[in-house]
Amino acid sequence: MNKHVKNLTPETTDLSRRSFMVGTAATGLVLGYAGSGIDQVLAAPAPANFEPSVWYAIAPDGLVTVTCGKADMGQHVASTMAQIVAEELGANWKDMRVQLASNDPKFNDPVLGAQITGGSWSTMMNFDAMSRAGAAGRIALTEAAAASMGVPAGELVVRDSKISHPKSKKSMSFAEVVKSGKATKTFTADDLKAIKLKSPDQYTMIGVSVPQLDIPLKVNGTAKYGIDVMLPGMVYGALVTPPVRYGATVKSVDDAAAKKVPGFIKAVTLDDKTTTTTGWVVAVANTYANAKKAAAALKIDYDGGPNAKLSSESLLTEAKRLQGLSDSGQFFVKDGDPNAAFGTAAKVLEAEYTTNINIHAPMEPMNATAEFKGDILHIYSGNQFATRSGAIAAGAAGIDPKFVVMHQMWLGGGFGRRLDADMMVPAVQAAKAVGKPVKVIYTRENDMTMDFSRPLTYQKVKAGVDGDGKLVALSHDVVSAWPTQRWGIPDFLSPSVDKKGPLDAFTVNGSDFFYTVPNHYVRAIKNEMAHNATPSGQLRSVAPGWTFWAVESMVDEIAHATGKDPALLRVELLDGKGKNDGGAQRLRNTLLAAMGLAGYGTKKLPKGEGMGVACVSSQERATASWTACVAHVAVAPSGEVTVKKLTVATDVGTQVNPDGIRAQVEGAALWGMSLALFEKATLKDGGIEQTNFDSYTPLRMSQLPEVAVNVIANGEKATGVGEPAVTVVAPAIGNAVFNAVGARVRGLPITAEAVKAAMKA
Amino acid sequence: MPNLNINGRNMSVEAANDTPLLWVIREQLQMTGTKFGCGAGLCGACTVHLNGEAVRSCQTSLADAVGKKITTIEGLSAKGEHPLQKAWVAEQVPQCGYCQSGQIMQAAALLSKNTNPTKEEVVAHMDGNLCRCMTYSRIQKAIMRAASDMRTASATGSERRAT
Repeated sequence: MNKHVKNLTPETTDLSRRSFMVGTAATGLVLGYAGSGIDQVLAAPAPANFEPSVWYAIAPDGLVTVTCGKADMGQHVASTMAQIVAEELGANWKDMRVQLASNDPKFNDPVLGAQITGGSWSTMMNFDAMSRAGAAGRIALTEAAAASMGVPAGELVVRDSKISHPKSKKSMSFAEVVKSGKATKTFTADDLKAIKLKSPDQYTMIGVSVPQLDIPLKVNGTAKYGIDVMLPGMVYGALVTPPVRYGATVKSVDDAAAKKVPGFIKAVTLDDKTTTTTGWVVAVANTYANAKKAAAALKIDYDGGPNAKLSSESLLTEAKRLQGLSDSGQFFVKDGDPNAAFGTAAKVLEAEYTTNINIHAPMEPMNATAEFKGDILHIYSGNQFATRSGAIAAGAAGIDPKFVVMHQMWLGGGFGRRLDADMMVPAVQAAKAVGKPVKVIYTRENDMTMDFSRPLTYQKVKAGVDGDGKLVALSHDVVSAWPTQRWGIPDFLSPSVDKKGPLDAFTVNGSDFFYTVPNHYVRAIKNEMAHNATPSGQLRSVAPGWTFWAVESMVDEIAHATGKDPALLRVELLDGKGKNDGGAQRLRNTLLAAMGLAGYGTKKLPKGEGMGVACVSSQERATASWTACVAHVAVAPSGEVTVKKLTVATDVGTQVNPDGIRAQVEGAALWGMSLALFEKATLKDGGIEQTNFDSYTPLRMSQLPEVAVNVIANGEKATGVGEPAVTVVAPAIGNAVFNAVGARVRGLPITAEAVKAAMKA
Repeated sequence: MPNLNINGRNMSVEAANDTPLLWVIREQLQMTGTKFGCGAGLCGACTVHLNGEAVRSCQTSLADAVGKKITTIEGLSAKGEHPLQKAWVAEQVPQCGYCQSGQIMQAAALLSKNTNPTKEEVVAHMDGNLCRCMTYSRIQKAIMRAASDMRTASATGSERRAT
C-alpha cells in the first residue's frame, strides 16, 4: 500500500516540507502573508464573522461560506464539502456558499498533509474532517443560543439554519446568533475528535441530490477559470514549444520578424532549473493575438537532444526488452511461487497487453498568470497540486516557496493534467523578464504536444490453471514510464516487496486485485526511455486504467480456455479468502448487480452482438470503489465496434450527492469508452504527432451509447467516484467484442483493423 | 476603430481586422464567458451568435463581425434565464463547465428555429461541440426540456393573445 494512504496521522503534514525537489515548501507561507497586501480571499475574515474552523465562516447575514482546499474540476467537490459541513452544522442548503482555498498550508488535506486533488480521494479523506467542522459549529452556535434564550442547550433543536427551543417556542436563526457575538467557543484537535457525529440514519443532507453550488455560474459565463484572469497592466505570453517532447535545447532565437509585430514586447527563452520544461520560448505582447503572431514569427534553432529519434515503436521495443530481463524492476506483489506452479499447471496461458499514449486534453488549455508584487509572487491558475506547483513556480522564479501565493480558480477540466506545474514556468519567467503581470495561454497544439500524458504501457501476463480449471498462478509484468516518481516526493512512492527500493505504485495499482490466486507475482518495471522521452502524468484513473485492461482481459481468456462463463469465473475467484475478505465480497455483489441490471445471460443476442463483463477495485486496495461493468456491443464485419450499452454498478459505501455521483460515474465510464475506442497518441521523432481535436479524437455526442448506472450505497464509508468507472470499461468492451465475434484484441485503443485482423486469426 | 454590436450595445474596439473575434470579445471587451478551446473550429467552446447563427468565434475575424449582431453567453438573456440556461440548471448539466457556454449558444441557435427537434436533429446540430467531461446525455435532456418549455410558453402566450 502506498504510504500516502497508510499514514492517517497529522504527522503527514510534514510531507510538503521534506520532500520537494525545488526546495522546502509551504509551511512558512504565513510569513509571506503578513502585511503584504494579500487579496481578500486570504485576508482574515471580518471580525463579525463566526469562523469555527478554517473550513468555513458564517457571516452575520447567516450565509455559510465553505473554503474548499480541493481543486474543483467538475466533480463539484466544493459543493460536496459544503454538503458534508451542512449536514452536521444544520444549515439550510440555500445559505451555503463556496470559495476556493489559496495554498496556505492551513487548507492542506487533513489526511494527505498537502494540497493535492486526485486519486478519487477527496470525499473519502475529508468526510470526517468536514463532518467534525460542521458539528463544532453547531455545538458552538447552540451553546450561544442557549445562553441568549436562557434555556438548556440540550433542549435545543438545530435545523435549516435555525436553532429552536420547542418547549418555549423560542428560536434564533444562525444569523441572529452570529450577530449576538456570543458564539466564541473554540475547539482543540482533541475536542474535535471527541465530538459524536450523526449516525447515517440521522442524515438529512447526506444522500440528498441538492443542486451543485457551482452550476449557476457555469451556465451564464460568470465562473472564472484561470484563463479568465485579468490583472491591471497585464500582458500576454504565447509559447513556442520544440518539435521534441522533452530534451531539446534552444540554440538561437531570431526575433527580427517578431519585432515587426505590433505590440510585441520580448521573446523569453526559458531557463528552467526545475527541469519541468526543455527548449521553450515565450513571445510576450500586449494582446494574446499579437503574442501568437510574434510567436509564429520567431525563428528558433534547436538541438533536438537525446530523444529526438524516438518513436512509440522504440518505446515499445525497449519495454519488451526490459520485460525479458529476469532482474528488471521491483516486485509489487509476491505471493507464493508462480514459476513453480506453472511447471505443474495443466494449462498455461500467456499474453501481451498494450496501451498507447493518451492525452488529457481538458477543454481549458493550460494557462497561468504570474504577477510579482512586492516580495510576493502571485500565481493565478486552476491547479490540482498547489503545494508542489507553488514550489515549481518558486523554483522558476528563483525565490523561496514561502513567498508564492497560489490563487485557485475553477478548473476547465483537470483529469490529472493540472497536477503538473509546467504552465507556471513560462508565466513566471516571462513576468520576471518584462516586469509586468503575464498571462501565458497554451495553444491547443502546445497543450497536446506537451501533455504529461498517460504513458505507453506494455504488460505481459502469464496464468496457470490446474486440472480442475482453477487459477493457481499468475505473473504480471507492468512496464511503463513512472509518472509519480517524476514528482520527486518520496512519500508518494511505495516500498517494493523484494526490498529493491521504492517503486511507483501508480503504475501497478489494481494488479493487486481481490481475486484469490495462491501464487501471484506483479513486477513494476520502469521504462527509462519512455520516462525520459515522454514525461508522463496521472491521467484520470492512472494505473488501474491499464492494469485492469490486462487482468480483466486475461481472466476472460482463462474463462474461455476452461470453458467457463467469464462472469461466473469472476464470482468464483472473488471467494473472499484471506487478505481479500470483505473487498472480494463487495466486488462480487457489485458484479452481480451489474449482471442483473444488464440482463446478462438472460437472452440470446443477434449475430455480431455480444456482452462482456469486467470488475475492478480501483483506485487502490485501500481506497477502492467496487465497480463492475457489462458492455453490450455490436461488431460489424469490417471490425467496427459500436457500443450499444454500458451498464455500470458501483459500490461507494455512502453517497453524499447521488445525482453528482451518477454524473461522475457516467462521465468516467464514457472516458473509459473513449480511451478504449477513440483516443490514441503516437510519438515520432521524439514528438507527439497529434496536435488538435482532428487527430486526437475524444468521444462526441454522436458516439454516445446508452449508459445505465447503478450506485450501491450500503452504509460503509464513502469512497471516490471520479475515476473507478474509467478502468472497468475497456476490458468490458474488449471482452464483449470477443463474446460477439471471437476476436481477442489486446491493445488499446481497440481499432476496427485490429478487430478485423483478430476475427480472421 | 471598428465598432461592434454586441449583446445589443455598440462598442468600439482597437484591433487588427484579422484578429479572431474570440480574443476581441475576451480581452478587449472582457467578456470571458466565451471560451478558447482549440483555435481551429474543432471543439465549439468559443461559439457565439452572428445575426442569430451559431459561429466559432475563433474562426471569425473582427472584420467579418463588424456590422452584424453579435450575441455571447452574457447576452443570451438579460438575467441568465433563457429556457436553455434554466434547463441546464434543472438537469445539472455542467461538470467543469468550460464548454457549456458554447454548448448553450450552439443549442440556442437550434431552438430559435425549431422548438421541436428530434433527438437525431439535436445530435447532428451539437456534434461539433466537444465536452471532455462527457456530459452529453444531460445536454440532450436539457435541450429537450428547454424545447418543451419553449413550446409550452409559446402555446400559453398564444392562448393569452386569443382570449
